[in-house]
Amino acid sequence: MKDYSSPVYTVRRKLRPFKGFLYLLPSIIVLCVFTIYPLIKTFIMSFMEDYNLVKGTYTAINLENYKELFADETFLAALKNTGIYVVFVVPISVVLSLIIAVFINDVVRGKALFQTLYFLPYVTSVIAIGLVWRWMFNSNYGLINSILNVFGIESIGWLNETKYAMPALIIFSVWKSLAFNILIFLSGLQTIPQDIYRAARVDSTPKMRVFFKLTVPQMRPIIVYAFMMGFISAFKVYNEVYSLFGGTRAGPANSAITVVYYIYTKFYNSYRYGIAAAAAVVLFVIIFVFTMIERYVTRDRDKVKSK
Amino acid sequence: MKISIQGLTKKYGDFKAVDGLTLDIESGELVGLLGPSGCGKSTTLFMLSGLTDPTEGTILFGDTDVTRIPPEDREIGLVFQNYALYPHMSVLDNIMFPLINRKVPKKVAKERAEAMAEIVHLEGLLQRKPKALSGGQQQRVAIARALVKEPQVLLLDEPLSNLDAKLRVETREEIRRIQQEVKITTIFVTHDQEEAMSISDRIAVMDAGVLQQFEKPQDMYLNPVNTFVANFLGTPQINMFDGEVTDEGIFLGGNLVRARADFADKLTPIPNGTYKMGIRPEHFELVDDGVPATADRVLMTGRELQVFFHLGETPFRLLTHSDQRLYQGSEFNLQVRRAQLMIFSEDNLTLAKV
Repeated sequence: MKDYSSPVYTVRRKLRPFKGFLYLLPSIIVLCVFTIYPLIKTFIMSFMEDYNLVKGTYTAINLENYKELFADETFLAALKNTGIYVVFVVPISVVLSLIIAVFINDVVRGKALFQTLYFLPYVTSVIAIGLVWRWMFNSNYGLINSILNVFGIESIGWLNETKYAMPALIIFSVWKSLAFNILIFLSGLQTIPQDIYRAARVDSTPKMRVFFKLTVPQMRPIIVYAFMMGFISAFKVYNEVYSLFGGTRAGPANSAITVVYYIYTKFYNSYRYGIAAAAAVVLFVIIFVFTMIERYVTRDRDKVKSK
Repeated sequence: MKISIQGLTKKYGDFKAVDGLTLDIESGELVGLLGPSGCGKSTTLFMLSGLTDPTEGTILFGDTDVTRIPPEDREIGLVFQNYALYPHMSVLDNIMFPLINRKVPKKVAKERAEAMAEIVHLEGLLQRKPKALSGGQQQRVAIARALVKEPQVLLLDEPLSNLDAKLRVETREEIRRIQQEVKITTIFVTHDQEEAMSISDRIAVMDAGVLQQFEKPQDMYLNPVNTFVANFLGTPQINMFDGEVTDEGIFLGGNLVRARADFADKLTPIPNGTYKMGIRPEHFELVDDGVPATADRVLMTGRELQVFFHLGETPFRLLTHSDQRLYQGSEFNLQVRRAQLMIFSEDNLTLAKV
């Protein structure tokens, strides 16, 4: 029999509540170094005038970066483009993927094939996809214009006219973001009990009513999730711009510049670290406020009531 | 609505879930489809609903052949085992749903739903969500939703299996009451023989996809057509054993329990030999001079005593009133009630009751 009254066991017993923290420590350290610290550093940097990343020098702590930022027309254009991007890409993608997911879910044979097909874009490199789409969007020999020509519509300079740069980016991004949304919708659809649909059939429910009155309400939490994740990632759009326009610029005359693209250029190309940091903070605040509003709007009213 | 099922068969590959089922159900009848799991009773119900297509056979509702009519046009009400209520809708919306689908004006639909809710005793719960209801209440919402569209036939799949024991008894009586009140032809599936016997007008017992017997509960209990039905109905189970028939009579573990003279007049002649036999536990009688036996174990269940004993090597169980003073080791004498000893043929069919 062990002597459980010995000091060794007393110390062990006292330390037991802290044991959990020990297990968490590795991930806490990683999180601090790579997420928390950069976050705080960015915040501080945004207030440093003429900050030099290499030397660590700055001339003053003030709001100059923000003043300059909001006076910069490129930044304002980036804000506007990002806004347009978010407003178009996320809802279109969510609605389209929900419809596609419902259709795939109804497929009896070859469901796995369709699932794989639609998921391919998610596992393929954005750069590779961008290359393909650049070819498809090409004004002279691209697939999209060829199709438009068949219907008697004149060729569009998707990637080399300023007014078409954003639409091209949006079409490309919607297509690209379908994969992830379809995946989560498909798994969501599979959690809906099938008996509800059988009951609806016996109740002679029209197909559209089944979709709007049963499927959509049942999928509500997942739709909210898709919107939330979609909005957050859409605000941070960069890869899509980079890959679609070849990496040298954000479309003709920077017509499709987004906030993150702006941050990247300011940081790496213009070495304006303070400005880049300030833009990052602005984006952070926008995403934060937006997410809060979204959470409030989409909160489960039933739960609120019953509490 | 009269229902006529003719040669109904459902095959899954080589497996016959339902095999040549033929049944005629009278209008307004409550019929229980009874059998162990996997006997094809639910498949039968789903074929009646139209959700499952039969491989062969026809189903008539009245004079109409509905075999190929899809469920939405069959005018049936179906209650699922797990109720399949629409979880995000209130009770009222659930009950109204089928009416709105049929383009009934909202006001009329609401009135009819409320009237139906009253029949199933749900008034006062109409604004609740299904989650906030007990199992029995959810069950009644499901029944109300099935009945509100005034179907010709009501189908219930294991309607009581998700309820606890006490609620089960209440709800089965409730189902009977509602069915009588609405006077609707009803078919329900169950694996619980007591449930089936207590509320059905007639019971159809199925095994391995084949109909065994279709009969009124009492007649089926007393006169099972074969060993399967005899075994399946009744708790505690019927005593099954091998007995000897000689010129003298029937012997059980070396004891004469029925003299030949007592059953010589039976229509089916019973030649001498060994037969499979059955006696229900309540058909043993304790008497002053009969076959002697010793109680191995006595189980007191309140209303009754269950006494376990042996005759020869064969174990038996009898039921008697709990005012009998019998204990482990008690000696007693018994006889088998007149005409309650079942004799089965080699292929398990009932030959005679002697």
